[in-house]
Amino acid sequence: MSKNLKLKSARAAKDMSQKDVANAVGVTRQTINAIENGDYNPSINLCIAICKALDKTLNDIFWEDDVNE
Amino acid sequence: MNKKGLDEMQLQRKYKIGNQGFVMLLYLLLLDTGLYGFGFRWISYPANVMIILTLCSGIYVVRLISGNAFVGPFAKNEKPVLKAVLTALCSVSVAAVIIVLLKNAGFSNAGQIDDMSAPILFITAATGLIIAAVTGVIKRKQNRDDGK
Repeated sequence: MSKNLKLKSARAAKDMSQKDVANAVGVTRQTINAIENGDYNPSINLCIAICKALDKTLNDIFWEDDVNE
Repeated sequence: MNKKGLDEMQLQRKYKIGNQGFVMLLYLLLLDTGLYGFGFRWISYPANVMIILTLCSGIYVVRLISGNAFVGPFAKNEKPVLKAVLTALCSVSVAAVIIVLLKNAGFSNAGQIDDMSAPILFITAATGLIIAAVTGVIKRKQNRDDGK
């Protein structure tokens, strides 16, 4: 699985650390780290929670276009 | 999100480790039985099962901790020293009471208990200490990695 750079940039844009996002969505920091590195495929519920925490849509963060694949 | 317990990635990892642990337990018990069938007895009866069970459960716990699937995201960050000491004292006293009761009971003779109980207790305690040491090292390494 490829790295999720969109999530990383959205998090950086909101000046949030992995720990901040993890606390906001109720998971461990390691889970957010694994999602960013492409080591873990999150459930749709977790995706939605992450998007809400970062004020983004599912398309903004989790849709893989040709450039990001 | 679940405010108690493990998150979804931790749960997946825990189930995977648990499945692998049970398969390992099964194969080790089958191997032990097979060796016994061929006449090779590496250690006498109660101790072999005890050692295999302790080994598998120890590996399970160590893998859970090293895979960060033991404590959930909202666990309190407390130092359970007093709790650990009280638990150890309680378990030692319960074990002593059980041994004394079994020795004094009429349904079993003292020689039978003395036969394997000491090595089993020693091996169990030694394995527990080794597991505690390994988990301590893993936790320290994880904290160091997180700090980078």
